[in-house]
Amino acid sequence: MSQVNRIKGGLIDPATEITFTFNGKAMQGHPGDTLASALLANGQRLVGRSFKYHRPRGIFTAGSEEPNALVELRKGATQEPNTRATVTELFDGLEARSQNHRGSLEFDLMAVTDLLSPFLSAGFYYKTFMWPRAFWEKLYEPAIRASAGLGRLSMEEDPDRYDKGYLHCDLLVIGAGPAGLMAARTAARAGARVILADEDFVMGGRLNAETLEVDGKPGSDWAVGVVAELAAMANVRLMPRSTVYGAYDHGVYGVLERCTDHLATSGGKPRQVLWRVYARHAVLAAGATERPVAFGNNDRPGVMLAGAVRAYANRWGVAPGRRVAVFTNNDDGWRTAADLVAKGIEVPAVIDTRDAPAVCDVPGARHVRGAAVMDTRGRKGLRQITLTDGQMIDADCLAVSGGWNPNLHLTCHQRGRPEWRDDLAAFVPGRELPPGMVVAGAANGAMTLAAALREGCAVAETLGYADKSDLPRAEDEPRDCAPVWHVPQSRARAWLDLQNDVTVKDVKQAHQEGFRAVEHLKRYTTLGMATDQGKTANIPALAIMAECTGRTIPETGTTIFRPPYTPVPIGALAGRARGRAFRPYRLTPSHRWAEAHGATFVEVGNWLRAQWFARDGEQGWRDSVDREVLMTRGSVGICDVTTLGKIDIQGRDAGEFLNRVYCNGFATLAVGKVRYGLMLREDGIAYDDGTTARMGENHYVMTTTTANAVTVFRRLEFARQCLWPDLDVHLISTTDGWAQFAVAGPNARKLLRKVVDTEHDLSNEAFPFMGCGEVTVCGGMPARLFRISFSGELAYEVAVPARFGNAMMGVLMEAGREFDAVPYGTEALGVMRIEKGHAAGNELNGQTTAHNLGMGRMVSRKKDCIGNVLSQRPEMLRDDAVKLVGLRPVDRATGLISGSHFIGQGDAATMENDQGWMSSVAYSPSLEHSIGLGFLKRGDARMGEILRAVSPVHGREMEVEVVSAHFIDPDGERLRG
Amino acid sequence: MIINHPLLGPRDAAEFVYLGDAALIDRPDWQAAEAAEAFHAYGYLRDNPAGAHQELWYHEQGDRSWLVVTRDTVSHEITQVELARDVARARGRSR
Amino acid sequence: MAEYTLQAEPPLAGAEMEIAGVRLWAPADLALVSLALPLGGEDAALMAIRAAYGAGLPEIGRSVVADDGTRLVRLSADLAFALFTHATPDAEHVVADRLNGAVYTTDQTDVWVALALSGPNTRRALERICPIDLHRQVFAVDHAARTVMEHLGVLILRTGEDDYLLLSASSSAKSFLHAVEVSLTNVNQT
Repeated sequence: MSQVNRIKGGLIDPATEITFTFNGKAMQGHPGDTLASALLANGQRLVGRSFKYHRPRGIFTAGSEEPNALVELRKGATQEPNTRATVTELFDGLEARSQNHRGSLEFDLMAVTDLLSPFLSAGFYYKTFMWPRAFWEKLYEPAIRASAGLGRLSMEEDPDRYDKGYLHCDLLVIGAGPAGLMAARTAARAGARVILADEDFVMGGRLNAETLEVDGKPGSDWAVGVVAELAAMANVRLMPRSTVYGAYDHGVYGVLERCTDHLATSGGKPRQVLWRVYARHAVLAAGATERPVAFGNNDRPGVMLAGAVRAYANRWGVAPGRRVAVFTNNDDGWRTAADLVAKGIEVPAVIDTRDAPAVCDVPGARHVRGAAVMDTRGRKGLRQITLTDGQMIDADCLAVSGGWNPNLHLTCHQRGRPEWRDDLAAFVPGRELPPGMVVAGAANGAMTLAAALREGCAVAETLGYADKSDLPRAEDEPRDCAPVWHVPQSRARAWLDLQNDVTVKDVKQAHQEGFRAVEHLKRYTTLGMATDQGKTANIPALAIMAECTGRTIPETGTTIFRPPYTPVPIGALAGRARGRAFRPYRLTPSHRWAEAHGATFVEVGNWLRAQWFARDGEQGWRDSVDREVLMTRGSVGICDVTTLGKIDIQGRDAGEFLNRVYCNGFATLAVGKVRYGLMLREDGIAYDDGTTARMGENHYVMTTTTANAVTVFRRLEFARQCLWPDLDVHLISTTDGWAQFAVAGPNARKLLRKVVDTEHDLSNEAFPFMGCGEVTVCGGMPARLFRISFSGELAYEVAVPARFGNAMMGVLMEAGREFDAVPYGTEALGVMRIEKGHAAGNELNGQTTAHNLGMGRMVSRKKDCIGNVLSQRPEMLRDDAVKLVGLRPVDRATGLISGSHFIGQGDAATMENDQGWMSSVAYSPSLEHSIGLGFLKRGDARMGEILRAVSPVHGREMEVEVVSAHFIDPDGERLRG
Repeated sequence: MIINHPLLGPRDAAEFVYLGDAALIDRPDWQAAEAAEAFHAYGYLRDNPAGAHQELWYHEQGDRSWLVVTRDTVSHEITQVELARDVARARGRSR
Repeated sequence: MAEYTLQAEPPLAGAEMEIAGVRLWAPADLALVSLALPLGGEDAALMAIRAAYGAGLPEIGRSVVADDGTRLVRLSADLAFALFTHATPDAEHVVADRLNGAVYTTDQTDVWVALALSGPNTRRALERICPIDLHRQVFAVDHAARTVMEHLGVLILRTGEDDYLLLSASSSAKSFLHAVEVSLTNVNQT
């Protein structure tokens, strides 16, 4: 098929021919075409099937409001469904396919649904598929989904790249039509930083679709000149192919830029970029959208909006039909008739609902006054129209104009409500606009060219960007409009929402059934809920509801507009946050060493930590973990504990500050000593724990748990700035600055002796348990040494500047070779802390108090500290409160289950009989059986008691014995040794 | 949203962490006779105004300052931004 | 001579590339020490800094280069960073000695990693990750700001018309480098 409907002129390059396919058929077009204009040029009127009834549908508009012409583009992984042909820029090799039919587009097997339409009116599915309930999920919904719908996903991972970004400007101009160009030019000439964004790939807006003149030359030429001037200015950023889809708080706008959608391949560059634009001011110059009039069978391919018909003729050099009738209720429709005749296209008739004289001379056209189109004929496309006076007119295209609606969507994104203007028969932006936004041109109801140019300039000036240049000359074209929303004489179905197949009858039915509020109307009929959000449908439907209820349109109201203005692909919202780049990851200083030594890693927050180090011959993780525990307890083990939060605290009042943020006393901590500290929340619940070392008179180093490193710092800053602003305390994080290693086990001292420089005395007397200090290692390397133990063994933590951490791990292992030193991971760390009865995240779970943890006596009553007062509430100090205990299975061969609840022997496993829960379990290789920590009512007084540990989740239960939480070395002889 | 930091100028709210009512500055005296009642009110009782609200924001991805932001909870308009430390001192907090 | 020695392995050591006409590299031996001004001792601290560096602390959000090449960056009323080239792990002692106890100092060298960017497309690339307005009217040479890029806290300094220094946490150095690298790759060179 050749380009049978191509005519002369337009903003395309006729000398260059490009080939594309539609449903596998090769077609030709030119640079500057959209897929829609090229399809029309090739005589392809039928482009898809409707959502619900599988009705044949054609191209209806020439812009982003298109409800019908949704197609699948490309193939394989890059296949994209539901793309509007009207905004798809044509490129060589483009593959497009129609959607929502079984069999071919021409003979859709599902078109039978259209014959069932008397049963499929609004609410049909809600009413019909109510019962049996179980059928909905299994039978009804899948069947309905299979028969109704839009395009198909590729089901493959999207291979394209996406990105995001941030832009800043004084003025964001939304829309590059006459008003937008004037606003941008005025502000830019005044020196403002301007961003001009337009969803189209050619700037100029309706100037490109009209034959109107500006300054005595074609409007599109004038636009080219302005765009060229702006492009040359350093303070202007032009963003074609960019949709401003949302207006957010404080002058933040969302913009989707389609960077490579118009190219055959993205060439490794982001396909789309989602910009966050920070604008001091914004001019909304988004123009207006034409609306249809509803009449019988008004959805046939060939029935189009009048402004679109002349856009195809003027901008794209395409005749949407050979005989194009015009049906209008306003002056603007006449412009289509005049432009088409000027292009040599036959216009048999102009049907005007108004009984008024012709607006302009249309040679060859009959003027039918005071009449309307009430029905159409033609199987796969329009052939004939029937008027209310009974006349039948042959036409293969009908250009319909019901007037124009200002594109005010963005004015409503922050609660703004539009206002009705009778003279335009349309909603215009209300008085409450997003702060910083002004509206100009057709978007503001300034519907003529001269008015748009004038307003564009004026709004820039009101924002303080004055330019002395003269306004360009243009005319105020006639724009009278007499509202007609539908043709009541029509007997056949009259469509309102073409994408969701909502008819005039559906709206009337919604009214009859009481769904009269606009939000109910919308949800009951699905009006305006398709991907086009009812851009062409909503206002006519509201008007019909207003008619039914006897109210005015403004009384009926309008649904609220929310972002996005047009669909934003999920890929663009995700941006580059995919796979490994989903979120940042943090590596410990010894990560490379661990990788080279068989570590399996686990995510702990953003950190990757070594979980265990498998050796050859080990059958599973338990083998590795058991070995790491036994070898550590038997000799010495090394673990990278860098991930614990480290906060450097300095100041004359640092000690006093610590005394107030920990529940236990810190005032007496001596230089060179470490103390365990427990932090409470202000409500008295245990929050975080760790050790704090006093490195100098006014210098402390606090450690936090890995998980709470960030939030503890935040809380400390809150205490410092908001609670006690006159304490001299300074905080700075050093978590990443020090590579810190736990060296634990009976040979820990001997190992460290080989690494720590000899002038530092490591004897138990000189460097006792809970001692700390600055030392040097490996011949002068500054290091910090802390004698603290999480494992319960004789243990130290040694810290070196992080850049030496990887080497330090190697040195420690090398020095430990004679002791059979092992590296151990987080699993062995966890096993050893459970063996020792140390609380961790499972115990500090946001529900437990110091009292529950058996640390009630630590809460000092002699000082003020966060959480002190509320931790003393009677309910939190009950005698029968749960207490941290150890548990072991009566049958030692059984594995305990974390999360089990404790139930008395002989009691039913019910909530009333619940006596506590198991918080942590592990297999203890030291004891050779499973052990657990848990919270049990009055647990501290119940040693030796036998209970049932019930896990309904697993459907299992077992007998457990209550024991001390300190399974290993309860008297602490090892760690003090 | 954009918060106009008193020292650093306008910054995207994404740099901040929200805490809540700026009344959290007014931590009661732990030794007062009705300390338990006062801490209960401090910890749990909040006004929830539709309109101007003084609230605490923390510039975590910035200078680590706590700010008292006066924000209209209906329109999100921000009318005042102060350093919480200054507010705390003005409300009589010290050491 | 000790039995063992430790080799430094800075996370981004040796990173250097040119993408979209922008040179990106990790400066070697960049030391960083924080300077906290004692409450009530601010004047003495500022005097000590001026005496040590021949330059006073700039206003918040600005940096200044002292005679010895140290860049002093003022982050808030009571906090500044000193950036200088220094290979050995004793930067904090060096600074503390010069300031004579008038300022609380903390070694931050290993807390951070630095990436330097140079070239006319730099700003265009940073638009993809930096929420701060880097236009010269707003963020001029010697301006400094802490902000967030790709979820990472970043201290950004403008060191020249087309030159920037970015600092972020050392543990997430790879994510940081990736974020900057991708931004450069994604720039359309038009």
